[in-house]
Amino acid sequence: MLNDLLVAFQAVATIENFLIMAAGIWGGVIIGAIPGMTGTMAVTLALPFTFYMQPIPSILLLVALYKGSTYGGSVSAILIKTPGTASAACTTLDGYPLAQQGKAGKALNMALYSSCTGDFISNLSLIFIAAPLALLALRIGPPEYFMLMIFALTTVAGVSGRSLLLGLVSACLGLLLATVGEDMYGSFRFDLTVDMQSGLAVAPVLIGLFAIPELLKIIVFRNNQSHKPMQLGDNRVTRDELRRSLKAMLKGSMIGVVMGAIPGIGPSAAAFSSYGEAQRSSKNRENFGKGELEGIAASESANNGCCGSTMIPLLALGVPGDVITGVMLGAFMIHGMTPGPMLFENNLHEVYMLFIGMLFSSVLLFGAGKATMRFFSHISRIPPGLMAPIVLALCVFGIFSISNSMYDVIVLLAMGIFGFFMFLFAIPAAPFLIAFILGPMLEENLRRALALSRGDPSILVSSPITWLFASLAIFVVVVTIRQQLKKAKV
Amino acid sequence: MGITRGLVITVLFGIVLFLLIPAYVPRPRFIPGFAPPPDMWPRTVSMLGMALGILLVGLSFSRKTEVIADPEDASTIRGDTPLVTLLTRFGWTVLAFALFIGSVMLLGFLLSSILLLMAMLILTGYWRHKVVAAIVAVALPLVLYLFFSSALNTRFPVGSLFKAIGI
Repeated sequence: MLNDLLVAFQAVATIENFLIMAAGIWGGVIIGAIPGMTGTMAVTLALPFTFYMQPIPSILLLVALYKGSTYGGSVSAILIKTPGTASAACTTLDGYPLAQQGKAGKALNMALYSSCTGDFISNLSLIFIAAPLALLALRIGPPEYFMLMIFALTTVAGVSGRSLLLGLVSACLGLLLATVGEDMYGSFRFDLTVDMQSGLAVAPVLIGLFAIPELLKIIVFRNNQSHKPMQLGDNRVTRDELRRSLKAMLKGSMIGVVMGAIPGIGPSAAAFSSYGEAQRSSKNRENFGKGELEGIAASESANNGCCGSTMIPLLALGVPGDVITGVMLGAFMIHGMTPGPMLFENNLHEVYMLFIGMLFSSVLLFGAGKATMRFFSHISRIPPGLMAPIVLALCVFGIFSISNSMYDVIVLLAMGIFGFFMFLFAIPAAPFLIAFILGPMLEENLRRALALSRGDPSILVSSPITWLFASLAIFVVVVTIRQQLKKAKV
Repeated sequence: MGITRGLVITVLFGIVLFLLIPAYVPRPRFIPGFAPPPDMWPRTVSMLGMALGILLVGLSFSRKTEVIADPEDASTIRGDTPLVTLLTRFGWTVLAFALFIGSVMLLGFLLSSILLLMAMLILTGYWRHKVVAAIVAVALPLVLYLFFSSALNTRFPVGSLFKAIGI
């Protein structure tokens, strides 16, 4: 294997491939940082350009765009509380408060280090443990998915802020809103209008919930602060801060690797799970949500930790885990390669070239992140009174362009007003988002499991994997309740 | 605040459970196998939400448990500004959003978004920097319109007014 990797290294290490990967990383970072534009959009748009390229450079371009946009989403999440991707929503929780404290550069640096670490570990896992992870992914059925979603939902407790009860209310609202539209058996629910039959897309809900309330706060509670820019402050991450965050970074990376290898889970669930775990085990857990670097480290390492491992079910089983890997599946097929077990038989050299190229792209991500950071940091100099309307314009155009539909724009603005009311009632937004993203998977797998077992709920705890996730969920809930009770006594 | 919040949450989930689900969540006559019906999950979540709302109301009555249900005082969020002023500003913002949605089909996406951006800059108070605000209000939507139209082939609504005059 080592010999094959060295041969692949020589084949990949060309100026042309480096330029292609660099273009992908830079393009991904910039696109991911623009509110309303997503990595999926970037990868889908780039696909036609790859028709005229060689197979491996074309796949590397798409992968580089994906990785770049995953990191880029954290830039807007930190600077303007507008996550570029759903997984970056978790980074908002601590990144934006840090930026408000004048430490935007520090937050961006930590996001970059964590992203690159998670990405690198994910690439190594793809190379060395793809086979056993793929076999594990094959054993995950509807009951296991359901329990995994339950475990992921327990992170609601961690991001609920000062009141677990209000966090649970927020999660219920998210679960409820996720039921709008067509269910798995074709029934339309809450279709008050014809447009609502297609449900609510994640992008307008996500951006509406996080970005628009900031504009409303500036308008309604207008004060002198709206004309003062945030200060850049000290940009560096000290050795002590890095050492403190290392544990969260490494755990987050592994959580991202495992969850990314399971088709359909996605980086959002990984990011929130990692964040919840980091908060539970941190000595500074009280500081989470107020600008804690460990929070950024946990979420960013997990969401970039998914980037490499999400290719495992694609390469090993031919199963795309999400829309982006679905596009990559298309790219593979266009170039005459069929992902799946036979890929390793028929195109082993190309597969190793892909592995090496992905390792290179992690290094390029670091360089692109450092180079763009200075530029992005200056965005925080724009006064909030000007920045918030600019963000609104970007969001409106970006959301409209996704599906060429005013319905999504209406959802964006309506969710903004809803998010503002949630703020007024001190109901946290993060649990809502987690529940909104995980809710459909939770319900679908519950109903599938019950259909398989002919209505017998014991199927939900019938295998070792379900016991594992159920035990983890109970453990997290018990620990959280104990912490809340201790807080209430104090 | 805690009692109000609990009541609002209870009423909201109650409306969903007793009004919206019966009206807008169909229950098919035939459900294959042992699959749960489509209204199972929304009902479960709504009932849980109502229960949480009632719990919030209950906990707010006791001083010992009030802190669990009501972690922060509303006045820390609102500050000293009179409620009427806050409501007026909020009302103007919602009106601006509604007018934007309504005007897109008449004036087109570009012009409507320019007007929306102007309205937001006035409402945030940044309009006192008139030159910068005016440039941003016109240039930004124009740049975005050109970018999304050419790079992403997005077809923005032109507006019936412009169609009527032949543009």
